Amino acid sequence: MISVLAIGLVLVTSLVIGVYGVRAARSASDFLVASRRVTPHWNAMAIAGEYLSAASMLGLAGLVLKNGVGAMWYAVGFTAGYVAVVALVAGPMRRSGAYTVPDFAEYRLGAPRLRKLCGLVVLVIMLLYLVPQFKGAGVVLSLVSGTPYWVGVVLAGVVVSGSIAAGGMRSATYVQAFHYVVKLAFIAVPAVYLVAVAGADTRAEALHPEWGTRFPETTPVEFTVGTRFHLEAPVTVTDASGAPVELAAGEHTVAAGTEYVFPAGAGVPHPAGLPELGGGQWRTPLLGTGGFALFETWSTLLAITLGCMGLPHVIMRFHTSATAHVARRVGVGVIALLGLFYLFPTVYGLLGRVLTPQLVLLRGTDTVAVVLPAEAAPGTAGTLLTALVAAGAFGAFLSTSSGLLLALAGGLSHDLFQGSVPRLRLAVAVGACVAVLMALPVEGIDINVLVVWAFTVAASTFCPLLVLGIWWRRLTLPGAAAGLVVGAVTATGAVGWSILAPTPPGWPAVLLAQPAAWTIPLAFTTMAVASRFTRPPDWAEHAVLRLHSP
Amino acid sequence: MRQVHALGLDLQDGLHGRGAPAAARRLRRLLAVDGVILADLDGPVAGHGRRVGSSYVDGLLAQVFEYGGGTRGRLPDGTAVYAVPLMVAEELSGALVAVGDPVEADVEAAAALVAEHLDHAALRRARARIAAADLRSLRAQISPHFVHNALAVIAALVRTDPDRARHLLSDFADYLRYGFSDKGDYATVADELEATQTYLELQRARFHDRLDITVRMAPEVLPVAVPFLVVQPIVENAIRHGLERKEGRGHISVSGYGEGPLCVIEIEDDGVGMHPDLARSLLAGTGPESRGVGLANVDQRLRAVYGPEYGLVIETALGEGTKVTVRVPRFTRGVVAP
Repeated sequence: MISVLAIGLVLVTSLVIGVYGVRAARSASDFLVASRRVTPHWNAMAIAGEYLSAASMLGLAGLVLKNGVGAMWYAVGFTAGYVAVVALVAGPMRRSGAYTVPDFAEYRLGAPRLRKLCGLVVLVIMLLYLVPQFKGAGVVLSLVSGTPYWVGVVLAGVVVSGSIAAGGMRSATYVQAFHYVVKLAFIAVPAVYLVAVAGADTRAEALHPEWGTRFPETTPVEFTVGTRFHLEAPVTVTDASGAPVELAAGEHTVAAGTEYVFPAGAGVPHPAGLPELGGGQWRTPLLGTGGFALFETWSTLLAITLGCMGLPHVIMRFHTSATAHVARRVGVGVIALLGLFYLFPTVYGLLGRVLTPQLVLLRGTDTVAVVLPAEAAPGTAGTLLTALVAAGAFGAFLSTSSGLLLALAGGLSHDLFQGSVPRLRLAVAVGACVAVLMALPVEGIDINVLVVWAFTVAASTFCPLLVLGIWWRRLTLPGAAAGLVVGAVTATGAVGWSILAPTPPGWPAVLLAQPAAWTIPLAFTTMAVASRFTRPPDWAEHAVLRLHSP
Repeated sequence: MRQVHALGLDLQDGLHGRGAPAAARRLRRLLAVDGVILADLDGPVAGHGRRVGSSYVDGLLAQVFEYGGGTRGRLPDGTAVYAVPLMVAEELSGALVAVGDPVEADVEAAAALVAEHLDHAALRRARARIAAADLRSLRAQISPHFVHNALAVIAALVRTDPDRARHLLSDFADYLRYGFSDKGDYATVADELEATQTYLELQRARFHDRLDITVRMAPEVLPVAVPFLVVQPIVENAIRHGLERKEGRGHISVSGYGEGPLCVIEIEDDGVGMHPDLARSLLAGTGPESRGVGLANVDQRLRAVYGPEYGLVIETALGEGTKVTVRVPRFTRGVVAP
């Protein structure tokens, strides 16, 4: 109940800031203050606030618990993305005056059709990114209120499109900056508290996972989905009726709805395909569990780092800076703010392995940040902490998804159709509906897998477009179009295939699941080669010069 | 048909535009001849296909321009050449030369087509010039009324409140510098607001402070580029026709925020308002002379820059105040503040 209240409070506050945070000045002498531009600090906080999504709050902690310490590379990538943004695109984008990537494409290459193509790619990326956000919101809402998953997802869709319709995003800068503070406070305070109350033993165990993972106390595990898992040693569990069941070492398959109570101290079984919690593979600081871990790590890092600059809602925020110089300073600020934030999801992941290992069996690792406080600190403190984390996660969902939804709606109404205001509202509603419908069937897929999908597509499409558009005069219209199409089709298709359909084993599976390492170079090459055979527009020289002249 | 349409696009910048060579190529294909030359009064500007010695072409062109009609010629190797003058708006402005046994009627029809496209190009340029002249006239329009009123107010304050008079005078100077600056056709929303502020300062002094002002601006729209002098004329209209005639205190609010890819600026007053029909005629530019052309001019320029769907929106009724909304894309190609 407290959690629901806390979530409501975050929602109401951001609505109020959104509508009234448009700075008011009543007397003429205040007038100048009002028209002063937003400071870099606010802007950096706004960017960080919009960027830190449910993937960061929930997904990262969940992945550390499930796949091991290698998942920390995600945090590295999410932050390093801004290094690439600051170094390559922030300044020139600001100088171009372009608000969105399609704007930039039109500025640089000047063709309405390319604009439409870019709008289409924006649509794909934004939808892929929105789906995990809605999934996160659905998971959190259903956890704190006890409703089914789909109710949470639908509710989240209604809330976010409603808050946009109510004008809650009018002053996006202040709303998003507020959300950064909410997220940081609501994840950091419980984390620090949990570390303090966890006790020396738990802390030591969290940091030194060499002796595998055992249930900390008698733990009932209700398998909501059918699971196949592996036991290292035989164990006697009790089933729903209280009768003891003897489980031998080795593979076991349980049907959905089975309930086992594991005794305290029993080794935690690990589901098929996942590393043993705290085992050697879990401890290896690489992403991926197969024989291609190094490749998977590189590919994911590449996708996240380069994908960041291709995310339409990220690029937009630099438009708010007064000059290119300020835009770069803002970017540096963002790196610091993100670095601070990403310390905390890891804490939940590491503590979660010790205190709530059963989540791995339930395929519910994305919920670890919300479930953990109640386990670690029973009673009122735990309830309060759960409320804080839930509200923070919901804030993460709200800020990111309203930014995404607005970007998506803008792309729909502005780039794809010549739109008016009612169209924009309609586009928000349509976008939310589609995202909700797509989020319903993905309950079992990790948030981060979906997020990396969005990043991979962004890195294989807009990253080459922006980098070549800014740094290479010879980029041509057909070249850009060809690169965009090739990048979008290969990246979307490969990951989609690996998620939705069975893949051939071995190298092909890895290349399909983590395609960034080949789709990004492919998109770059296509753009470059196709540009070589066509003529750049007459104004290319002039347009590029403007991007770089101070 | 598609070829004809494409020819129009090629020639949209006139004979000296970058599409001229493409137009020559297209004409050669349309006429099915060996070569085509497009020339203005000074000589060939673009050609495609078979090349012809320049001395021969110059001679032929001189003949065409003198005679003013279709002229036949023959190359040294016996190939037939047909040259037709281009009459743009009944004025001789160039020639179309077809090389290699052309069908003369076809060449004449093609020349008429080219001339028509050139005429359109000239009209388009003229329209742009008119828009620029409109802006200049709007800048010039600032002066008479307002300058007189402002100076009168300052004069009245010089003895009683010299500090304020000095302040206002410097505001006035700032305002004039902005209004008369020729830095370009576009300014940022922040610049526009600043100019509006100085204007409002002066008006407040004239109203003896019975004018309340609220400004609410989302910071993210401040760097957006908009056409120069868009906000101030609307504010001026609100004061002159909404608040000046109102008894007691008046209130005017200027607010701006982002709406997805759009930037919205609203100027709202609680003055006497106007009949919706009057508002409609004002935007159409058919309003009474005394109302000036401020709103119509702003509306036209917005439409010219952003397209017809981005004109001003006026919400008003008699006695109900007036709300004018400017809604423009945050980015439009070519719209850049200096």
